[in-house]
Amino acid sequence: MIPVQIGDFSRRELLKRVAMAVVAMEAIPLADAQEVHSHAIQEKSRTGAYKPKLFNKHEYETITRLAELIVPADQVSGSAVDAGAPEFIDLLASHNEKLADICTGGIGWIDTFARTLYQTTFVEARAERQIALLEQLVRARTQSEGSGSGPREPRNPGAREAINLSPGVTFFNWISRMAIDAFYTSPIGMKDLGYMGNSATSAYSVPQESIDYAFKRSPFS
Amino acid sequence: MPQSSSAEIYDVVIIGSGAGGGTVAHVLTAKGLRCAVLEAGPMIDPRRDFKEHKWPYDYPHRGAGPGAESYFGGGGSSGQGFTFNANFGGNELDGEPYTLADGTQFLWWRSRVVGGRTLHYARNSYRYADYDFKPYDRDGLSPNWPISYEDLAPYYDKTERLTGVAGSSAGIRSAPDGIFLEPAPPKVHELLLQKACAKLSIPCIPNRLAIITKPFNGRPACHYCGQCARGCGTASNYDSLQIQIIPALRSGRLKLFDMAMAREVVTNGQGRVTGVIYIDKRTRQEKLVRGRAVAVAGGACETARLLLNSKSSEFPNGLANGSGMVGRNLTNTVDFSVSGYLPCLEGMPRYNTDGYAQGHVYIPWWLWERHDKLDFPRGYHIEVFGGFGMPGIGSFTSYGAQQGFGKRLKEAVRREYGCTIRLAGRGEAIPNDNSYVEIDPHVVDRWGIPTLRFHYKWSDYEWKQARHMERTFIQIIEQMGGRVLPRRTGGPDASGIVLIPGSVQHEVGAVRMGDDKRMSVVNGFCQAHEVKNLFLCDGAVFVSNADKNPTPTINALAWRASDYLAEEMRKGNI
Repeated sequence: MIPVQIGDFSRRELLKRVAMAVVAMEAIPLADAQEVHSHAIQEKSRTGAYKPKLFNKHEYETITRLAELIVPADQVSGSAVDAGAPEFIDLLASHNEKLADICTGGIGWIDTFARTLYQTTFVEARAERQIALLEQLVRARTQSEGSGSGPREPRNPGAREAINLSPGVTFFNWISRMAIDAFYTSPIGMKDLGYMGNSATSAYSVPQESIDYAFKRSPFS
Repeated sequence: MPQSSSAEIYDVVIIGSGAGGGTVAHVLTAKGLRCAVLEAGPMIDPRRDFKEHKWPYDYPHRGAGPGAESYFGGGGSSGQGFTFNANFGGNELDGEPYTLADGTQFLWWRSRVVGGRTLHYARNSYRYADYDFKPYDRDGLSPNWPISYEDLAPYYDKTERLTGVAGSSAGIRSAPDGIFLEPAPPKVHELLLQKACAKLSIPCIPNRLAIITKPFNGRPACHYCGQCARGCGTASNYDSLQIQIIPALRSGRLKLFDMAMAREVVTNGQGRVTGVIYIDKRTRQEKLVRGRAVAVAGGACETARLLLNSKSSEFPNGLANGSGMVGRNLTNTVDFSVSGYLPCLEGMPRYNTDGYAQGHVYIPWWLWERHDKLDFPRGYHIEVFGGFGMPGIGSFTSYGAQQGFGKRLKEAVRREYGCTIRLAGRGEAIPNDNSYVEIDPHVVDRWGIPTLRFHYKWSDYEWKQARHMERTFIQIIEQMGGRVLPRRTGGPDASGIVLIPGSVQHEVGAVRMGDDKRMSVVNGFCQAHEVKNLFLCDGAVFVSNADKNPTPTINALAWRASDYLAEEMRKGNI
């Protein structure tokens, strides 16, 4: 892997130089190509606190809390909130009416459900109660997946079936999907996974260490 | 009557700028001919418009699309959304519909851009085998091509010398060797695959891709960012925009009309074409560009559409369609995959698996002499996907369903990242009478041009081939110590296999070549039987669709047609 070299050129000049070289079909120095890779990252700046475009304060807090519960911080990396999930969800929902309805409707549903269970909104409930509520949705999802079509018989006859959990499951699936996406498409998530690609390298090689590791554990050892 | 017409009469008017049109423009301008290219999409600047090297987090929407399109079925099949890929199109285009006959499913990918689909295609570069040109001699199920491997081989050579192809010689009849640059080494999962294949007596060889691994024709070597589908800013792989159109423009002998939607090829009433009427999409004006010859390369189905829409008293069924064969014999590729989870890769020391965008190895068809013992007549090759790919929208959605939420979700993703391998079969489908395109009498596009209606049916040959793929892939994955993962089910076939026509964008045929004028539209040089100065230079002319991705064969056929056209012009025959 060739390290990034900024050299004497400003990034803008470098970009221009690479662009001209491409149009002129000239060879491009590898360092320039690598510099273009990193250009996009470095141009990005985070200034000030995010102002939600769609959600009101309560809705934004709810989305934020859900994202944090779905992908929490652990010893390796931060949470989906650290990775910008609430901004991501708000931004997309503000540009897509269907998604906006899914989110605001879902928040309304989950608050109603939380009031039924705990007499509070979802975000006001204690952490263990929030988790218990989400676990209920996960269980409901698993059951509905396993039951196929036709009338659904609760696996556990003792479970409270007074409330239809399907709208909550749908909403949770959406938020879960977007929180996961926001996390793993962020620099935090990429680092967590150890993704090493999307970079310029002069020759491609596969480390012997990785080959040996896999082969030792394979049927071909 | 068009609202305006070109002052210049070009030697050749070329419709389309992809693999076919790009090749014709490049070859003919190099020979000194003056050409015009009509392209239905815009000219682009690779550096500004390619999204190579971008990260999802460079965009607030992370690749989901500004309006969350990826979450609602948009954004193509890549999973990365259309923000990143150099598709410049898709199966659905605003204002440019196509319709499906009852019971037909067909995905028709159109890239409206100078360069067409070559900007994002996989770069697989497999030559047709000698027997691929003579299927009738082997099984009697579809006609022979009017040309042989020997006819096309010199043009495969020329194509490879221009584009550069990484690969290695293997001496396998189903996969003729070409002119290769040294290939990049296999990745870990590919080494395991090779081991498993060796035990099963299946060949697994370095892949052949139109990617350059050393400086070549003034272009820098591949830098292994794995992002070919986003367009290559260093032109280290083949696309017709940078390798053919831009050099042709530089010659001063090519005039490019972009945003030009061809409507009709016009004739002189004496069996010759004289130009093309197109709609300038920017002004919605109708214009005529005149030429001594016309080469149509709009993409197989667009080419059929243009001919069918070019009706005159001389050609009441559409241009060059006395045989009624324009639109018939549409075929595509059997696309079936199985994925496997390889526990031996859990915890493997991370490394950069991006390399080329495609697998560094592939499996060419290996049973070409055993069709008498198989229950299907034509072969397939296998492409391989795996490694620590760049995380994108949707990469880990399934973990939400499997793991619920919380720390266990993160731990599972970390443990299983990069442990999946996918084997994708790409098989030959046999042309049949039930698969064709025609003009839908009820629908026109935004430009007033009648649009296509698709009819497509698989036959038992394709289902049986897919089932063989399934059995084979499971065998290979298990040989690797892998766990076979659930695959799409619910297809009409008894086994539940799902085959979606058009899913890998290899639609070819529809205006096939042949010696018999009653059964074909063009001859072996892509010249229309009925119109000497009309050439078809794209996948439309394919007589069959061997288990090889079409692009290099389109390049070679278009090159051969261009040589012939230039020679006929020199002799005064055109």
